[in-house]
Amino acid sequence: MAADLDPTRKKTLRRELEGMLGKGAVLSEPDELLVYESDGLTLFRALADFVVFPTSVEQVSAIVKLANREGLPFVARGAGTGLSGGCLPAEGGLVISLMRMNRVLEVDYDNQIAVVEPGLVNLHLSWAVGPKGFYYAPDPSSQQACTVGGNIANNSGGPHTLKYGVTVNHVLGLEVVLPDGEIMWLGGRTREAQGYDMAGLFVGSEGTFGIATKIIVRILKQPQAVKTVLAAFDSVDQASEAVSAVIGRGLIPAAMEMIDQTTIEAVEDAFGCGYPRGAAAALLIELDGLRHGLDAQAERVIAACRDCGARDVRVARDEAERQLLWKGRKSAFGAFGRISPAYMVMDGVIPRTRLPEVLRKVSEIAAAHGLRVGNVFHAGDGNLHPNILYDPRVPGEEARVVEAGGEILKVCAAVGGSISGEHGIGLEKMDYMPLIFTEADLDFMRELRQAFNPRGLCNPGKIFPSRKACGEAGIAYRPHPIEEKGLAQRF
Amino acid sequence: MPAPLLDALRGIVGPAHVLTGADCAPYVVDGRTPDAVAAPGTKEEVAAILLAAAEASTPVVPWGGGTKMGIGAPPPRLGVVLMLKRMNRLLEHEPGDLTATVETGITLSALQGELGKRGQWLSLDPAHADKATLGGVLSSNAAGPRRHLYGSCRDQLIGVTVITAAGATVKGGGKVVKNVAGYDLPKLFIGAFGTLGVIVEATVKVRPRPDADRLVVARFVRLKEAGGAARAVMASDLLPSALDLLDGEALRALGQGRGDGAALLLGVDGIPEQVEWQCAEVERLLRPHALVDTRVLDGDERDATWRARSGLGHGAFPDTAAVMRWTVLPAQVADVMEQGAAVAQRAGVVAALAAHAGVGVVEAVLAGAGFADAAAVVGVLNEWRALVRGAGGQALIESAPLAVKVAVPVWDDPGPSLRIMQRIKSQLDPNGLLNPGRFVGGI
Repeated sequence: MAADLDPTRKKTLRRELEGMLGKGAVLSEPDELLVYESDGLTLFRALADFVVFPTSVEQVSAIVKLANREGLPFVARGAGTGLSGGCLPAEGGLVISLMRMNRVLEVDYDNQIAVVEPGLVNLHLSWAVGPKGFYYAPDPSSQQACTVGGNIANNSGGPHTLKYGVTVNHVLGLEVVLPDGEIMWLGGRTREAQGYDMAGLFVGSEGTFGIATKIIVRILKQPQAVKTVLAAFDSVDQASEAVSAVIGRGLIPAAMEMIDQTTIEAVEDAFGCGYPRGAAAALLIELDGLRHGLDAQAERVIAACRDCGARDVRVARDEAERQLLWKGRKSAFGAFGRISPAYMVMDGVIPRTRLPEVLRKVSEIAAAHGLRVGNVFHAGDGNLHPNILYDPRVPGEEARVVEAGGEILKVCAAVGGSISGEHGIGLEKMDYMPLIFTEADLDFMRELRQAFNPRGLCNPGKIFPSRKACGEAGIAYRPHPIEEKGLAQRF
Repeated sequence: MPAPLLDALRGIVGPAHVLTGADCAPYVVDGRTPDAVAAPGTKEEVAAILLAAAEASTPVVPWGGGTKMGIGAPPPRLGVVLMLKRMNRLLEHEPGDLTATVETGITLSALQGELGKRGQWLSLDPAHADKATLGGVLSSNAAGPRRHLYGSCRDQLIGVTVITAAGATVKGGGKVVKNVAGYDLPKLFIGAFGTLGVIVEATVKVRPRPDADRLVVARFVRLKEAGGAARAVMASDLLPSALDLLDGEALRALGQGRGDGAALLLGVDGIPEQVEWQCAEVERLLRPHALVDTRVLDGDERDATWRARSGLGHGAFPDTAAVMRWTVLPAQVADVMEQGAAVAQRAGVVAALAAHAGVGVVEAVLAGAGFADAAAVVGVLNEWRALVRGAGGQALIESAPLAVKVAVPVWDDPGPSLRIMQRIKSQLDPNGLLNPGRFVGGI
């Protein structure tokens, strides 16, 4: 544990790590470590003893073996864009940054696969294969910064997962360093591997099953044509109904995003993307595939939106207009920053047919806590992202945000949904797990973790509810065990 | 089998749903007869059976339609066969959500029928849909030609309820299409052949049925050209839902040709404008590849041809000696098929080969009695495996007589990851009672 590592021991270990990795590859001074004390969710902070920067699988394995010898916990980290505290060193020890392992190792266009290192930035893979007409489909909103390794840990999604699936649907094989330091391949280059689907299971395990050091993904041919429709509605209910109406007409768009009034105004103020000011909600619907017949599909989408009362529907005229519309969507979080000192992005999933009632409840919950909420989310997947706007300088406001967030998750669970669609459980939502899983479900998952991670050194203190929280799910604020130990603070 | 267990089974499901003795004959696997067959009607009954069997240290073998029971090493003991076909209800289907929750004993065709009433389908099309149950399809990771575009079980399954070896009821995943809460248990149970738990309910993604659906049969002079054509399709803008490559013998089994040549079977579905365009474009794209002719099938003819293709493992020859499944890189499919055909020819054995060319899965069927003796079959299977492994792939014996299975391992060596698979097995089924001894590495 971090607090228990005495200075002499720490100095010795630093020297050993530097011997292993080189001088510039080890951080251990508190001011150097600060950068790594949180991820995209700044609510939690925790300091590591060391942050290390390996450049090869052998180095990762050696670090993990050292951690095992010393009984030190360790956690892998990519770009740190996660939103659930998943890569925090919750119990001290080592943060293993994979940012120096960022190469595209091989692209096999004939077989439509790429072999990459975990620190590769998601979008850089699409850039690498783009000239030959390919791309990597999972596109989280942070794709300009987040890494493929981080996407593996969280099974990341994005707007286009409606049609193309999430990260796991694109991963064939992984070279991993197991929590005991052993290097092995799970899955491989072919579409099937005999035995259990180990690669499939590893994806989304939030760094608790080991560290991926090479990743084999499918790359897709870029679609022949793309069409983007923007529909404006006078009520959120109408927009929600249009989501199901589009599906009801036998279409699966590539993406179907909803942006509510608060977000539209913020985005227009900040970037002027051409969203319809004054509309209660807008849907950004993208169709892709064969050029032939795409117009006919767009007509169906437009008709579905009009049937649901859309006051204005338009199709992006050219690629520039399409990019502008997407810029609005992908920059929405930045725009919130202009209208509110802080915001917290929630992540819950509901069956898409329950959108109207759930969105109403979300705004009721926010109002009851005296908070504003901006919704910008993957409506086609039913993946909500209510952004609760607040001012951390106002005493008690942050606690109210956390409380409102918990209530929103309860609503998601109550309608048969999930408490996370793409951000992961991490530290943030461990104590909400009992909202959707029984103790037997969680025990089974613990057994599984035991098979990979018997000593519990690999990313401890995540995913599973702290034992004392069991049976009292969804209590809004409770100090995390690591806070009580003084190892981390919640901000 | 211990008498108290038999009494317990009768108490749990009722005497009418327990078979013993000669009545168990339809459930023989590799010459072994189960001690009893129990057919539960609810997941609670499944849990009670597993608990009772665990107390009696008796193995339990889950059984759906039985169409994949040939896969696996000869079982050391069958114990209780858990026949799940009574659990066949569609529990929830909300078309607007594109999801359905089902009891896993439902046959695939019954499920498709239910979903079809509301214009949707589950995009999995493995063989024997009228017999195969959803649970069996998931547990054996079965798929068919349309896997090319729509993916396999891991792309459709979003939630499971399983009964564990200890009789506990455990849920994984959920009922929504996007969900990262907790470990992805649905992935763990796909293709696990019931060795980690019994899937009793599943939530799957479903899709709208396409407005138009055609099958283009394109025949070529030789396999080599057909393989080149398949690669040309993959590199093109075309988006076929299926891209199957058949050699001459496989084509003959479909009632076309005299055993020579080769063919591509392309599924083309979607909105009518796109289907029309793709059918025309296929013809244009394939013409330079020594194309003999193309035919566009629709309706019953289309369905019958796909059925014959999917049923190749059983239908290719009057009598089948063995079926092997190869997984290789898509670009190597045609080469491996050519070399595999040459191996069979040298051994004087007739073989039919068919592949999901874009996925890299080849079904290799050896003709039986009158063509080959066991030694020749063993020889060919061993050579095939060496060939596939040499190409960086894996080979699995999908069905073969006991005499062959004893001589040729059913599974390949999965490599070092077997150790972690074994740790998972011993963690989740410490007494080794769930379908023991049949899976990879003796799991």
